Amino acid sequence: MGSSQGNSAALAVCVVLSLLLGGCAEKQGIEDPREQVAAGWSAYRLGDFTRAVACFDAAAARTPEKSDVHVRALYGLATTWNLRRPDADPARAEAVFKRIVEQAPEHDLAAWSLLALARMKHLVPVGDDPDYAAVRVAYQECIARFPDHLAGEEAFIYQQSTYVATLKQDDARQAAAALERFIAARPRSTFISPAYYLLAHCYTTLRQPDKRLAAMIRAVDTEERDPLNPIQDKALGYWMIGTIAEFEAGDLDTARKYYRLLIDEYPADIRCYGAKTALKRMDDLEARLRAEAGRGAGQGSGGAQR
Amino acid sequence: MSERLRSSMVRPPPGGGRHAGATAFQWLRRYFPFFILGGAFLWSAVTIVTTRVQESPPGTITLHISHWQLETGVKEALELMARRYQELHPNVRVVQNIIPESAYGTWLTTNLLGGTAPDMVEIPDSSKLPHDVMISYYSRYFVPMTPYVSRLNPYNKGTDLENVPLRRTYKDGMRGAYIQELQDYMHIPLSLFGVRIFYNKDLYQRLTGKTKPPADYREFLAVCETIKSQKDAQGRNYIPICAANDSMWAWESQMFDPISYSALRKVDFDRDGFASAEEVYAAFKTGLIDFQHPAYKARYKVTWEVTGYFPVGFTGLARDDSVFQFAQQRGVFLSTGTWDARSLIAQADGTFEIGVMDFPMPRSDDPEYGAVVEGPQYEGMPEGGFPVGITRTSPHQDVALDFLFFMASREQNEKVNDVMGWIPITIGAQMDSFYDAFAPRLEGVYGALSVLGLGGETRSRYQQLYTLFQSHDIPYEAFVAQFEPFYKQRGAVDFEERQRDWRRDLQRNEYLLGAMRADALAAAGAEAASKWVKYRAMTASRQVLAEIDHNRKVALVVQGPALGAAAPYEYSPAVLQKIRARLRGQ
Repeated sequence: MGSSQGNSAALAVCVVLSLLLGGCAEKQGIEDPREQVAAGWSAYRLGDFTRAVACFDAAAARTPEKSDVHVRALYGLATTWNLRRPDADPARAEAVFKRIVEQAPEHDLAAWSLLALARMKHLVPVGDDPDYAAVRVAYQECIARFPDHLAGEEAFIYQQSTYVATLKQDDARQAAAALERFIAARPRSTFISPAYYLLAHCYTTLRQPDKRLAAMIRAVDTEERDPLNPIQDKALGYWMIGTIAEFEAGDLDTARKYYRLLIDEYPADIRCYGAKTALKRMDDLEARLRAEAGRGAGQGSGGAQR
Repeated sequence: MSERLRSSMVRPPPGGGRHAGATAFQWLRRYFPFFILGGAFLWSAVTIVTTRVQESPPGTITLHISHWQLETGVKEALELMARRYQELHPNVRVVQNIIPESAYGTWLTTNLLGGTAPDMVEIPDSSKLPHDVMISYYSRYFVPMTPYVSRLNPYNKGTDLENVPLRRTYKDGMRGAYIQELQDYMHIPLSLFGVRIFYNKDLYQRLTGKTKPPADYREFLAVCETIKSQKDAQGRNYIPICAANDSMWAWESQMFDPISYSALRKVDFDRDGFASAEEVYAAFKTGLIDFQHPAYKARYKVTWEVTGYFPVGFTGLARDDSVFQFAQQRGVFLSTGTWDARSLIAQADGTFEIGVMDFPMPRSDDPEYGAVVEGPQYEGMPEGGFPVGITRTSPHQDVALDFLFFMASREQNEKVNDVMGWIPITIGAQMDSFYDAFAPRLEGVYGALSVLGLGGETRSRYQQLYTLFQSHDIPYEAFVAQFEPFYKQRGAVDFEERQRDWRRDLQRNEYLLGAMRADALAAAGAEAASKWVKYRAMTASRQVLAEIDHNRKVALVVQGPALGAAAPYEYSPAVLQKIRARLRGQ
């Protein structure tokens, strides 16, 4: 009996040890560091963070510092320590991201690492408030070092969003100026549509409906389309432009144009009934206002005659 | 082997042959049960192995598919598909794992986490697994279908769909298979579903003298009253509407909620076309709207009137009870979906004919509700049902995908749905004229009362009181008197919890974006370009702009709408001035 218990215990220890010690390479027979990095991302996607760390660690250990694969392994490692739940280790993640920036300052992933460092400051645990001054400085570092990189442009969008999100007029004014400059300087940026959307938000806060309407129209026009995405359509954009034009800008021609676009291009959209109702409402309103104006003019001329 | 047994076997018996025989008999008698057990085990093992080898000779690929569809015809339909597929691919067999609906979510979770999930899984709806949990499961345990939805379906060869990419062979464009949070197609749907009112044509005619179903709300109430006033052979009153605790969602979404549409113009502050939980709460809290709004009152009054024809105590009944009442001809009407159609017809078993009718909304000339009912109810294009995903742990992902393509082809999709009694999802697949009544309503009104959206205690309290209201235990006035003050006071706490949940979502999005970025960085050419578009779309919509929209909602709840401002869909004096000026300029 005692011997049996001992055997079972030994077996259990062996199983546990083999699970714990079975790293990326040993488990799957992966020797190529590139494949280890790919396996690390697969594990990350599956939520198997222990294995992801093992794979990225193994790849980093087998490659010379500053080499491309080494940097990629470190980036995977830092991302996993940053975003794994539970057991995130922000301090370790931050150290590895900084190591990437130091080791390979010109590498593509140095830009993404700087963005990640800023995002870590921005996305604080639930219940805490971010230190927005520090967040903006962190985004600025990414923008300054990689102004033409996708990560740099993303950092700019996030940075301006920190101003827009306060819903304060001063911040909105500052963000609007920065966004106008960005749009003028980078009309072909892949972040041009989000920039216009942010600008539209600025003008909402600043209560400038004509400018809001113009920014919304540009935002919808320039939005990137994934041809495989069946949900990403312009129906909401058309509806929003129609209602801004109708109820804020008082531009009924533009409102009609976008309500009609919604009805014609998305006849099964849930807002079509509302769009048709709006077209009738605007016709009725204009007829009423014209009648009032006619009566006013008639009364005026009648008065003059008298 | 014990020492005692060994010694009894090897030592010569001291008493000669007779004694030896007795000892052997004793030994046999002592260990006989073990022999029986051992023999039974051996026989079972041999039988199982032999059967398995016969069913799956070496080289056979066995695909497992799990689902919870116990309705008539589903198991048979999938068996038929498996046989047809095996005719084309003799080395592939398909095995169904049918799990009871109530245990499906737990069962799937256990198997996904344990790495023992089947190759193909019917994706559970939110009543079985919460949507956000399913999102993380998709990301971790399921193979994205995006790379395959633009492929041609080889099983459509010889048809006009031969050169059409898979997603374009779907009536809904595979819209329902696209998971916005992941920017990926994650499953292959096999059917379309619709919800209507089924009715017993024979009983209806016998009790009301009518042959046509009621065309509007008033006629519906009148026939319900007529039905209720009559007794069956056992002296029991007939039940106008068979219903159970899960019947309300169909009535609410198809008939009751759309009556509240006109309140949208008061509460849709961001004018996105929907009344969000935050907007409705802000409007209640600041007194801009309350339960006395004509559209809300009408919505609840219609609910009260219709549930008056439900069976007594329906909130305590299960779905099977309402189907049983209908099959036993205790009642005339039953609201359910196409998924139950074949089962209902089978249960009617030729004893009565089943008809289908639309939900009888009040008309615009209704004396009581005409002023608030603005139009027909919006239903929208139904999205694909019976969605099947492929698990990452499947050793035969390519074969599973091929089997799903097979079932999505026009000929097979028509057949599988014909046997299940459901609506085919592939363009051009024919269906029984019985399903014509399920043609979707693509224009109309919808609900503007999202009180439940705040969650927490607000939701619990509402459900308690609403259950009492539905079962006519408390009138509307008591329901409002008990719920509205609670909602205004407690809603603030639940709203704050929702904000924390929203922050947690941001963290989860960041994790998903990490994977999407890694994918895009590892890709090249057109594939990389497509992946970056998805990455940027998700970054903008779920992280950048969502935070600002969210902050506006928080400001709305905390500070309330601007004092003296026009309602969202009203012209302010300043805007009217602008319109006048433009008209003068024309």
